[in-house]
Amino acid sequence: MSSEEVEMEGACPTDEIRIGVYVCHCGLNIAGVINVKEVVQYAQNLPNVVSAKEYIFMCSAPGQDLIREDIKKCKLNRVVIAACGPEMHEPTFRAVLEEAGLNPYLLEMVSIREGSSWVHYDNPEAATEKAKDMIRMAVARARNLEPLEKMRGEVKQQALVVGGGIAGLTSALDLAERGFEVHIVEKRPVLGGHAARMGQLNVEGRKIAGKDLVNYLVEKIKDNPNIHIYTNAEVSKVDGSIGNFTIKVKIKPRYVNNKCTLCNKCVEVCPVTAPNEYEYGISERKAIFLPFDGAYPSQYIIDPETCTFCGKCVEVCPENAINLDEKEKEITIEVGGIILATGHDPYEPPIGEYGYGLSPKVITLHQLKRLLSEDGPTKGELIIDGKRPKNIVFISCVGSLGTTPNANQYCSRMCCSASLIEALHIREKYPDAQVFFVHKDVRTYGKDESLYWKAIDNLVKFVRFEESPKVTVDKDEVKVEVKESTIQERLVIPADLVVLVTGMVPPKEIENLRSLFKVGCGGDGFLKEAHLKLNPVESLTGGIYLAGTATGPKSIAESIVAGSAAAAKAASLLSKDTIEVEPIVAVVDEDKCSGCGICVSICPYGAISLEKREDGTRVSKVDPMLCQGCGTCGAACPSAAIQQNSYKDKQIIPQILAVFER
Amino acid sequence: MSKPKVALYWCASCGGCEEATVDLTERLFDLIEAVDIVFWPIAMDFKREDLEKMEDGSIDIAIINGGIRLEEHEEMVKLLRRKSKIVIAYGSCAHLGGIPGLANAYPREEILKFAYEEAPTVINPDKVRPMKKVTIDGMEFELPEFLEYLKPLDEVIDVDYYIPGCPPTPDLTWEAISKLLSGEIPPKGHVFGSDKSLCHECPLNETKPDEIRLEELKRPHQVILDRSKCYLAQGVLCMGPVTRGGCEALCIKGGMPCTGCFGPLDGVYNQGAKALSFLASVIDIEDEEKYREMLEKLGFDPIGWFFRYSLAKGMIYRKKRDGE
Amino acid sequence: MSDGDGFEPTIVVFACHWCTYQAINLAGTSRMKYPPNVRVIRVMCSGRVDPQFVIEAFKNGADGVLVAGCHPGDCHYVNGNMKTMRRTVMLEKLLQDMGIEKERFRREWISAAEAKKWVEVVTEMVEQVRKLGPLKLAEKREVVMNE
Repeated sequence: MSSEEVEMEGACPTDEIRIGVYVCHCGLNIAGVINVKEVVQYAQNLPNVVSAKEYIFMCSAPGQDLIREDIKKCKLNRVVIAACGPEMHEPTFRAVLEEAGLNPYLLEMVSIREGSSWVHYDNPEAATEKAKDMIRMAVARARNLEPLEKMRGEVKQQALVVGGGIAGLTSALDLAERGFEVHIVEKRPVLGGHAARMGQLNVEGRKIAGKDLVNYLVEKIKDNPNIHIYTNAEVSKVDGSIGNFTIKVKIKPRYVNNKCTLCNKCVEVCPVTAPNEYEYGISERKAIFLPFDGAYPSQYIIDPETCTFCGKCVEVCPENAINLDEKEKEITIEVGGIILATGHDPYEPPIGEYGYGLSPKVITLHQLKRLLSEDGPTKGELIIDGKRPKNIVFISCVGSLGTTPNANQYCSRMCCSASLIEALHIREKYPDAQVFFVHKDVRTYGKDESLYWKAIDNLVKFVRFEESPKVTVDKDEVKVEVKESTIQERLVIPADLVVLVTGMVPPKEIENLRSLFKVGCGGDGFLKEAHLKLNPVESLTGGIYLAGTATGPKSIAESIVAGSAAAAKAASLLSKDTIEVEPIVAVVDEDKCSGCGICVSICPYGAISLEKREDGTRVSKVDPMLCQGCGTCGAACPSAAIQQNSYKDKQIIPQILAVFER
Repeated sequence: MSKPKVALYWCASCGGCEEATVDLTERLFDLIEAVDIVFWPIAMDFKREDLEKMEDGSIDIAIINGGIRLEEHEEMVKLLRRKSKIVIAYGSCAHLGGIPGLANAYPREEILKFAYEEAPTVINPDKVRPMKKVTIDGMEFELPEFLEYLKPLDEVIDVDYYIPGCPPTPDLTWEAISKLLSGEIPPKGHVFGSDKSLCHECPLNETKPDEIRLEELKRPHQVILDRSKCYLAQGVLCMGPVTRGGCEALCIKGGMPCTGCFGPLDGVYNQGAKALSFLASVIDIEDEEKYREMLEKLGFDPIGWFFRYSLAKGMIYRKKRDGE
Repeated sequence: MSDGDGFEPTIVVFACHWCTYQAINLAGTSRMKYPPNVRVIRVMCSGRVDPQFVIEAFKNGADGVLVAGCHPGDCHYVNGNMKTMRRTVMLEKLLQDMGIEKERFRREWISAAEAKKWVEVVTEMVEQVRKLGPLKLAEKREVVMNE
């Protein structure tokens, strides 16, 4: 079959809409069912159609040539191709338009193959009629298409990593090794997050200390010229959007500079004590202190909340390293992408929950890990209330799985493995200790399954409950009462130590983070990834990536993987000089916009904001870099002021009316 | 130079638009001074034959309010159209059908049956209905036919301008008429008022939170509104976002959410549908069961909520019942 | 009310690009048969479907309208389909109050893999609407100009 020439009318003025319609046979896929000649004849008679042709394979070189030539010859300014659907060859044909000097967005493809010939093959007349309707609808839409330009934004090839825990450090190192400059902002005075305080970790049977893992990364990071570290610092303002963020960082004063030699004289004279947050509160520190041995940066720091500024430390410091007048600093950095590795907080049981806070014999898993750590306050010896505990009861799922009124519904993944590691540690170190593991579920998943069996072999007694156990504290005596669900009997276990296995919750600053970075949170309060499977390390905000426990409970290994993944995603953004964005974004007709704010409220990407006009009234503005082109703002706009390019009311309504213009 | 000739007429109307004209207060005297009122049956003794006697096109401006419900309305407005250079649809009923337009949700027969037979206070055992013609003592009396549907003015005659509102404010009325009298003729079809929605001029617009997310809707009688904060943000439907401004937000200032009487903005095909769209969009419920329950409990009435003044505008028709 | 002989309903479908439209394509590549009575309008997200579109479709001759998008939780644009859910529930009531039978307006969640569901929904809807007959909306009398 060859291309058919159809009589053309005389030349028309060029500001008129001139549409070319091209009907593909697709071999016999379309032509075997649909009467293509009839369809072409029909199309030719539609208003504004000046050329209607058919060809056996429109996507082939001669087919493309046909269209390209026709555009020039007939001075077309819109093109409709009736063939397969846009998902197949839209880019192909857009390129044809461009080559012919026409804006590529003046193309409309309509699938008479998937939509008609392939599904109505038992009724060729109906299939042909449907094809005519589909083309008439496409022509109605094409009449109102507008030329569009892809938008380009610059990309600053630097990254910000918020959070210097294990995930953040991994991301930063990965990015720096790819050659990008990275700024790490960590709210605490030292790097390492919770991983550094986790004592022993179980990595496929081998024991590694969390601190060592952190040090391994820190060694590579601290002298890396591509990485800038700001500790005791927090992000205070975020402006801009993907590719071009302007970040303000507030660096709080340490009061101690790097002349400090760690001689400890200041600590000896400091009159103030406070619970040591780096030991999860089981021991105390002074107002001036070194967070922990081997921490980076290894400098003392003064906690201004507890310090009385008495000045005794200044007097004794041999290096004059203390300056009580140090002020907060603010710096500004410009980056192209942001990784939020802002971590989690451990669940803090309220006073009285399972006896927490009512007896020194009731501690959390984190506190236990500190006690059992060789660099802990008891040098690894398990000493509770002056004695070595004989009966140790772990209560798991504290704060999780809905076991108590305050609890979250989700499972925190890691607690079973983390606590069984310590249970085995205790059994190994103190063979005469009796260890009970009172649990709702045991979820030592994946390769940690062996921990469970090892615990059984090592005589850890597993007690399963459905009803939450009760912990009674009577002066010095602590008892754990639980109804074992297998044997259905009530057990009362006198405990020398109760370890509450607590899960992970979002950090207390999560609201602040959410609004600063305009990232969403899920129902559980953690930062929300764009899609659990399709986009697990990207947030809904363009250019902001998520790593580690910021999105939910994870093991250290999983956090490291997430950190690398986020770095990889960020790198693919940062490796470009500019980013291009499809122009089917929302645009605001400012003459019509009343600043009612409806669109701002419903955009899932925070791409729309209200700004003030000169006269003080408000108007919506769309950031085309953030807009993803869903069009929901257009559907909701009560003034029809905001419209989505390519899917405007004036493009869709005629399409609807065209259904019935037979 | 003779004074411009002005005619005023009412169709299916509550009389509020006449009151609005009177509310011009002192400016009414200015108006009467400035123009020659050649037809105003409500206020003065004019008859139909007075109008018939006038030359075609001799009236400069005809201001017509009320919807077209009776045959008589249809006849009179067609007559006025012939006799006038400019016709203004005044008020929601002439512009959109208004409140009486809500009758379009019911077939004609159902309306008449209710009014003459079924209404609780009606005693009419013989089911007497009004007739188009009746002879009493040899004299013939005519009653105009009750039409199938109520129509806005522009579906019966060609309308030049619209002054929206239920009723239009005196200021808007004055502004529109003085503009026309001064020769400042806007393009045909212009709707007076603002070109932006009510939110643009509403004193409470700035009090909106950054994002409006309604966890539940409330009916206006279920909540005492904080009059210093956006009513929509407090959970009640305010039609402000989807309604043309220009009314100085009087209802808002009076502690009442907007009900939409100024009609839609240009570019909106269907005010009620857009109102449904924006309200549904800002409700923050994702569980369909819960959402349906909330609407059910609330007594959700989309026609009354969203189409209070605009049902007759012709954007949505009800389905014909059997036998219609 | 039953139809006259040979009445073929026209169903206007608003389909979202990422889910339903892909299901329609899959039905095509799988050569699944279904009645030729649908006319599909593609949008990027079902959230783009303005209730005005639904009303325009009915007003201009649609015997039925179907709005189809991604399942809750799966929307490519986070929660566009949730707006669709809320708008279509309200539209249902509005259309019901105007006397339009509920079989004529449907909202379905059809994912990209659910070609079978697409075929089932279309087949069922066409049948139901065929039985109901053409949608006879109350007509207005001729608009008379400049008499």
